[in-house]
Amino acid sequence: MNILTPRPNPIVAALYTLRDLDVDVAVLHGPSGCGFRAARLLEEDGMKVVTTSMTEEDLIFGASDKLIEVLKEVEELFSPKLIGVVGSCVSMIIGENVKKAINDSGLKEKAFFVEIHGCMGANTRGAIETLKAAMDFGLIDEKEYQRQTKMLLLATEVESNKGMAKSKYTRPLRGDELREVADYIIKKLKEDKKIAVVLNAKKETAYLFADILLAINLASKKHGGQIINVGNLSTDVGLLRIRRYAQDIKNNLEKNGITIDHISGGMDEYPVAGKNAIEYLKDKDFDLLVAVGIPQALPVIYKDSIAATNGPREVEPLKEEGYRYVTVEIASHSTVMGSRDIVLSELGDAIRKAAGIQ
Amino acid sequence: MKQIAIYGKGGIGKSSISSNLCVNLASEGYEVLLVGCDPKSDSTINFFNGKRIDTVLDLYKNGITDPDKLIFEGYNGVKCVEVGGPAAGVGCAGRGILVALKTLNKDYYLEKGFDIIFYDVPGDVVCGGFAGPAREGYADEIYIVTSGEYLSIYAANNIAKGLFNLNVKMGGIIGNLRGIPNEIEKIKAYSEIIDSQLISAVERNLKIHESEIEGKTVLEKYPDDPLNYKFKDIGKKIIENNKSRVPKPTTDEKIREILGGLI
Repeated sequence: MNILTPRPNPIVAALYTLRDLDVDVAVLHGPSGCGFRAARLLEEDGMKVVTTSMTEEDLIFGASDKLIEVLKEVEELFSPKLIGVVGSCVSMIIGENVKKAINDSGLKEKAFFVEIHGCMGANTRGAIETLKAAMDFGLIDEKEYQRQTKMLLLATEVESNKGMAKSKYTRPLRGDELREVADYIIKKLKEDKKIAVVLNAKKETAYLFADILLAINLASKKHGGQIINVGNLSTDVGLLRIRRYAQDIKNNLEKNGITIDHISGGMDEYPVAGKNAIEYLKDKDFDLLVAVGIPQALPVIYKDSIAATNGPREVEPLKEEGYRYVTVEIASHSTVMGSRDIVLSELGDAIRKAAGIQ
Repeated sequence: MKQIAIYGKGGIGKSSISSNLCVNLASEGYEVLLVGCDPKSDSTINFFNGKRIDTVLDLYKNGITDPDKLIFEGYNGVKCVEVGGPAAGVGCAGRGILVALKTLNKDYYLEKGFDIIFYDVPGDVVCGGFAGPAREGYADEIYIVTSGEYLSIYAANNIAKGLFNLNVKMGGIIGNLRGIPNEIEKIKAYSEIIDSQLISAVERNLKIHESEIEGKTVLEKYPDDPLNYKFKDIGKKIIENNKSRVPKPTTDEKIREILGGLI
C-alpha cells in the first residue's frame, strides 16, 4: 500500500539518534533547510546541528570541499569530542564521497558518517543506520546495536499495524476535550475506583507523559481511588543518556511519594514494554486504564480506557482501537527538549484543575 | 583478493579486454568476478552467448537483494554481475551504481573467496556515482584502456585527472591497438609522463571481433589461439602488479607534443 500521509523522516531520525549517542555536533551534508524544525529542537537539547547549505551549484559540481571546510569550521568553533555527519537526499544522489571528506578534513578520529537519505524507507531506518555507524566507530557494541535494531523494527511494525501507517491517509485530529477527560478521571477517583496508569513513552517524551501519571496520583491523594502505576522507566537498559531520563523521572516521582508498581522495560523499549505492561495488569483488578506516550504499542484490552498521545495522526487509529477518550499533547516535543525533570502536560494540567490542586 | 576497475574512452574496448582477461584468468584456476557497471548492461554478454543477465537494479526493484541471486555463472566458471540502471534519458544511473555496489559488498566477496574482481566501468566518469567503483572498499587500483590515438589518450588523461582528484591508485595502462604508427611507443610515452606504466598492449585482431559476433570470448570460440596467451600474460601481470600509484595527469599540450613527436 502506498501511504499518502506525511510521516517521520529517516534523516531526522538519524539526527535524533546522534543526540541519543551524546554526539556534540551533527553535520548535515545537504541544503540549509533540510530537517530545519528538528535541527532547531535538537539544538535546544544541547547538540549543535549545522548544515553544509548545499546550493544548485553544489549539486552540479559536488560539495566535498565545502564539507571539509564545514568540518574544519565546526572543529574551530565548537571543539567537539564527537561529530556525526549525516547524508541527505541530494548529497547521496550525486554520490558525495563523505568518508573521504572526513579523512581529508583530518577529523577521522572524532567524526563518523551516517549514510542516510530521505528515500530509504521508514524513519527507523535512519536510527538503525546511525546505530550501525556508531557500532563501526566503536561507540556501542554489537549486542546493543542488535537490541536497539530489533526495537526499532518493532516500532515500525506498531506504526503500520496500529498507528498512522495503518491506512492510506490518516487525518490529524486534536483529540478529545481535555476538561471532559480530566473530569471523567476525577469522577472515577471520587467513586473510589481503581485506575491503572501505563506510561509507555518514547525516550525524552517521557518527561511530559510522566506528568499525566503524576497528576493522576496527586489527584488520587486528594480525592481517593486507587492507582496502579506501570512505566517503562528501567535505568538498566539502553544508552546512558536514555537511562538518565528514566532516573530523572524516578527521582521526581519518589520526591512526590509515588511508587512505580511495575517497570515494564527501558525507555527505548516502548514497542514491547506496552505488551509487558498489559501482561502485568492481566490478573489485576482495575476499572480504568490510562495509557500515555505510545498507546498504540499496547495490546487492545476490552476495558474502559483513555489514551494520551503526542501525534495528532494517532488519534483516529487509537479511537478505532476502542479507547473512550484520546487526548493529544500538541506542544509535547518543544517542551521536553533540554529538560532534566518532568514538564507540565496539557492533560496533567487539566487533571490538576479538575482536582482543585496546583 | 584484488579488486580492479577498468576505465577508458567509450568504445575503446574495455568490455572486450575485461571479458577476455576474466575468462583466461578463470582458465588458470582463479575465482573471477566481473561486475559490469554500464547501464546498458552489456559487459558480460560474452559469457552468455550474447544474452543479457538480470541486472542487480532490476532485481532490487523486485525486492531481491540477496547477493547470491545477483551473481550469474558464465562460461568457464566466471561469475558475472550487471549493475543495470535506468533507460537512457531518465532517472539517475550514477545513484544506481552506488546502490548496486552497496548491495554487493566486500564482506560478501571475501566470504565467496574471489581472487580477483573486475569492475567494467562506462566510458566517462560523468558524476559521483560513476566514481563509485574507484572508492575505498571497492577497486584497489584502476587500469585504463587506450589506443595510441589522440582522443583516446586525451580521455585517459581526463580519467587520470579524476583519479588524482580522488587520490586513487592506478595500476597501469592496457593498450588496445588500432594500428596507427608507433602506437605502443606513444602509449608508453604517455604512461611514463603521468608516472604510470604500460602493462601490455593487445594488437588489433579480427578473432576478437568474430568471437563477439557470436557473444563469446576468444577462449571459447578459438581455444587454441595464441591471443589467449596474451590475455593470460596481462592477467598475470595485473595479479602480480605491485607498482600501482596515484597518477600525475598531464596537459593537452603535452599529449599533443608526445604524439606529434612520434608520427
